[in-house]
Amino acid sequence: MRQIRSRALLALACALLLAACGGGGSDTSTRVHIASVKVMGDSLADSGTFGFKFTVQGAQSFIYPERVAANFGVGTLCPFYVYTGSTFTTNASCTNYAIGGGRINNVSAPASPVSIVQQLVNAGAVNRYSATDLLIIDGGGNDAADLVGAYLKVQSDSGASYAALLQTVLPAETVLAALAQGAAGFASIGGSYMTALADVFYDAIKTNALDKGAQHVVVLNMPGITNTPRFQAVLDAIAAANGGGTAGATARASAESLFKSWFVAFNNELAAKFNGNSNVVLVDFYQSFNDQIASPGQYSLTNVTTPACPPTGLGGDGLPTYDFPTCTDAALSAMTPPAGSDGTANWWKSYAFSDGFHPTPYAHDLLARRILKSLADAGWL
Amino acid sequence: MRHDDKFVRTAAWLAALGALFGTAPAGAQSAGSVLLRAGVTHIKPNADSGDLSPPSLPGTKASARSDTQLGAGLTYMVTDHIAVDIPLATPFKHELDGDGAINGVGKIGEVKSLPITVMGQYRFFDANAPLRPYVGAGVTYAKFYKGQSTSALSGLTGGTPSNPTTISVESKFAATVEVGATYAVDEHWFVDATVAHTFLKTRATLSTGQTLDMKLDPDTFALAVGYKF
Repeated sequence: MRQIRSRALLALACALLLAACGGGGSDTSTRVHIASVKVMGDSLADSGTFGFKFTVQGAQSFIYPERVAANFGVGTLCPFYVYTGSTFTTNASCTNYAIGGGRINNVSAPASPVSIVQQLVNAGAVNRYSATDLLIIDGGGNDAADLVGAYLKVQSDSGASYAALLQTVLPAETVLAALAQGAAGFASIGGSYMTALADVFYDAIKTNALDKGAQHVVVLNMPGITNTPRFQAVLDAIAAANGGGTAGATARASAESLFKSWFVAFNNELAAKFNGNSNVVLVDFYQSFNDQIASPGQYSLTNVTTPACPPTGLGGDGLPTYDFPTCTDAALSAMTPPAGSDGTANWWKSYAFSDGFHPTPYAHDLLARRILKSLADAGWL
Repeated sequence: MRHDDKFVRTAAWLAALGALFGTAPAGAQSAGSVLLRAGVTHIKPNADSGDLSPPSLPGTKASARSDTQLGAGLTYMVTDHIAVDIPLATPFKHELDGDGAINGVGKIGEVKSLPITVMGQYRFFDANAPLRPYVGAGVTYAKFYKGQSTSALSGLTGGTPSNPTTISVESKFAATVEVGATYAVDEHWFVDATVAHTFLKTRATLSTGQTLDMKLDPDTFALAVGYKF
């Protein structure tokens, strides 16, 4: 009996020994193997076409496509287009086609790679996509800014800019008929424009990516640009122009609600177009961005209203200007932390905005996490 | 509550069976007996997860899957009715899935567990009865180790393959209750069936510093063949 007891004790000891066998780590394999990441879009996705990124500069300043690519084991992305000061040259060994200022409807130069549609065309011309390509595409933010800007000029130019922009996508008679209805028509035609713009975006992605073999396409819907400090200032100016107080607040709320309805029109159309397409993961950037602004603490953000980079001047529109090349991680950490921040040299790392319109590296990280969640949902990550 | 009902019903059923077979001759489980058994053990966690701490999507939760392993056990009869029991098993591996706001991301990790338990039991009927239902209560040390994250968990929490988010689960002491029965086939051999419930709360900690509290409250189902010395 003694022997049996000691044998049992031995079994227990073995079991305990197994328990002491140490750590586990991480299984970093992904469910879909991705060998190459191709990116088309605007400043949010630009890896350095102009020699800098549209965020705080630094060795650890990864933008969201770089973080998504890294999670699939694809190393750093480099810009396909390189701006020379007057034109864009290309670097065929790079696969990030995104350019700061990128627009779906690049009215002034539709054939320039600043047009996201043109980026898709150019990338599609040199690539026959395969199952191991991951495409990451964003767009719409600058288009929304153009539309809002043209709409806000209506009082100064009698709607000329607005009508001209609308007619680049919508039939002239549709635009003129709407504008003839006055204020209500001016408001609603903006939504029609955004819906048509989503169709343009969808068609470009379908023709140049999906029809060319792309099976893993990530599309970000349009962020609510009215959440940005720049457009919050624009809305504040609307309030001031309407006399401030209650009247100003009403005008501000009404403008914000109108602009949001345009973003939603774009996003709803995009969702309808891609609905049921298993080759496309449409990421709800709009909702995610709204959530972060509404509940900063949930996302460990300490400031969602003030840009981290110091303003360098005042633009022609009366809004502050910023200089990304000089807004480095070292420069921000060397600054006296602003009141209300965490007071450490890392103060800017929990801010949402780098300048008035662009995210910090941490906000890029949060966006990447949201995208990766959608990719995990799709069974890709 | 559901489980308590199940226990009561099982115990009543076993008692009824015992009344039927209680008079048949068999080997005695009397004071000083040592019972060894081997079989299979299934652990089914009933996970009730808290929310992953920020930064996270609100309501980011986890669930834990079941596992079955080889089981064993050693019982010492202190008196004809009171026994001390040590269940043993090869280490369990519980896969963790996203739940709540991240329900749908699939597997987020796995962790090995080794429950080390000492039970005090009361065995009904005569030492000679072939069927001996029992109830027990004891303490479990739930040893969790080898936590392993997946690329999904790493991606959701800002990790990358070169710097992945890892996961560890705190080992905890917990109370365990059980009902079971042995049925003596002959002088030495018997079969043993047990259902146990452990009241276990623990905390998973990520390498990012984020935490997730979970009530696991596992049910354990064990079936074994034993030999009485």
